[in-house]
Amino acid sequence: MTQVLQQIALVSGKDLRIEARSRQTLGLVVVLGVLIVVVLGLGLGPQQVASGMAATAVLWVAYLFCGVLCFEKTMAVERHDGALAGLMLAPIDRGVIYAGKLLSNLVLMVMLALVVTPVAIVLFGFDLSAAPLGFAAIMAGGFVGFAAIGTLFAAAVSSTRLQGGLLAIVIFPVSLPLVIVSTQMMMRLFGEGEPLGGTGLAVLIAFDAVYLVVSWLVFELILEP
Amino acid sequence: MTAMTSDTVLTTTDAALDTAGLAVQIRGLSKRYDERWVLSDINLSIPTGSYLTLLGANGAGKSTLLHTLAMLNPATSGELMLFGKSANRPSPGLRARIGVIGHQPMLYRDLSVMENLVFFGKLYGVSRPAQRAAELLERVGLADRASSMVKTFSRGMIQRLSIARALMHAPDLMLADEPFSGLDVPSVQAVSELLRELHADGKTVILTNHDVRQSLELAQRVVVLRCGSVVCDRQARHTNPDEVTREVIGS
Ligand SMILES: Nc1ncnc2c1ncn2[C@@H]1O[C@H](COP(=O)(O)OP(=O)(O)OP(=O)(O)O)[C@@H](O)[C@H]1O
Ligand SMILES: [Mg+2]
Repeated sequence: MTQVLQQIALVSGKDLRIEARSRQTLGLVVVLGVLIVVVLGLGLGPQQVASGMAATAVLWVAYLFCGVLCFEKTMAVERHDGALAGLMLAPIDRGVIYAGKLLSNLVLMVMLALVVTPVAIVLFGFDLSAAPLGFAAIMAGGFVGFAAIGTLFAAAVSSTRLQGGLLAIVIFPVSLPLVIVSTQMMMRLFGEGEPLGGTGLAVLIAFDAVYLVVSWLVFELILEP
Repeated sequence: MTAMTSDTVLTTTDAALDTAGLAVQIRGLSKRYDERWVLSDINLSIPTGSYLTLLGANGAGKSTLLHTLAMLNPATSGELMLFGKSANRPSPGLRARIGVIGHQPMLYRDLSVMENLVFFGKLYGVSRPAQRAAELLERVGLADRASSMVKTFSRGMIQRLSIARALMHAPDLMLADEPFSGLDVPSVQAVSELLRELHADGKTVILTNHDVRQSLELAQRVVVLRCGSVVCDRQARHTNPDEVTREVIGS
């Protein structure tokens, strides 16, 4: 078990080291995320913005588009120079490769959120103080499920010769249930001031579990050098 | 399907008897991409400690066969045994015994030479990977570039580094796809010396090559593939290069 965890950390640590060095993905994704939030904020106009509730929807839009870019970029690292074949030759389970890439994607998305969320808070006058932990929990739950399928699809799309734009088209519909569940939870939390109940979180966690297990099982089948 | 079953029975019975000394045993192996058969009915037994070269024209199926042996690319049908174990459901233990030098370097451009080698060393559970990497870099003549980024390397340097990567975990079976391509004369000598040493250590070496004369000098045995079939399988000694060349081009 510890060996598997070490292997996952190794695979992901390598991704993060590459990212820390080139800052290619984060640089791009943060700019895109801030742009989406600003443009949608201007487009919605002062009234919507004042309500504050639009913020969660806008944030999701930003996370979805930026997330797809993250998934694509972390997979591109493996595609270059056949590095993925090197991983596939190694005496590690395919699940380790999946978990490592997933972890890298999650770390990137959290870093993205740490920049983009404050921008939305300022721009939309979104008052997080009512339930900051609830907000974080719902977002985290959303991210895990979204990154779980994103990591799978990024690997699948990169091994066929179908290119980039396709990834968003396949990921968005599949992650729709997750987006709906989490925005509804946000509505209840911030709109109606209901505290975050155990059942709401349980639904989100159940979604995550299904996405994770299915993606992890399918990953092995679709992975091609 | 019935034929497959009886075949399997046959292999399991004599597996115990004679695969002990075989690094590779291939029976009726075929590989199809879409509708095209790229390998058809290959049968080969390669004893442990052999040095074998696969020859063949472009597209003959050499890389495909090597990838199948490396368990990267499953065969469509047929059976592959490595060191007496079935490679159809490869175990990590089996993977750890195999080293691969491919057409592609399988390295990360944005990591340094040392970081790449240590990363792969750790994946293979090599103890003291940094020390092992330093030794190998010395051997491939890149010791002074250990901290350079791979993306700053020339083609030949990348090739030498990918050889060091493949050697990190001291594999028992080395599969090398055109290891000499893109190398200058001293590097060719250095690499062929590395492979020769591996062979002298009792390891099994299988490589693909386009140079018939060089193959006959280096290897003990040459196998020619044409359109996915084995058309010639000889001991290298006393074999006429022109004859092998004719088999390669098929005239
Ligand atoms: N991923 C793939 N999908 C479809 N066809 C493939 C694929 N890989 C290889 N082929 C086909 O398989 C055949 C054998 O290819 P392979 O790469 O094994 O040849 P090779 O003998 O290594 O050639 P070369 O000397 O050029 O390296 C070729 O006809 C090639 O088009
Ligand atoms: Mg080839």
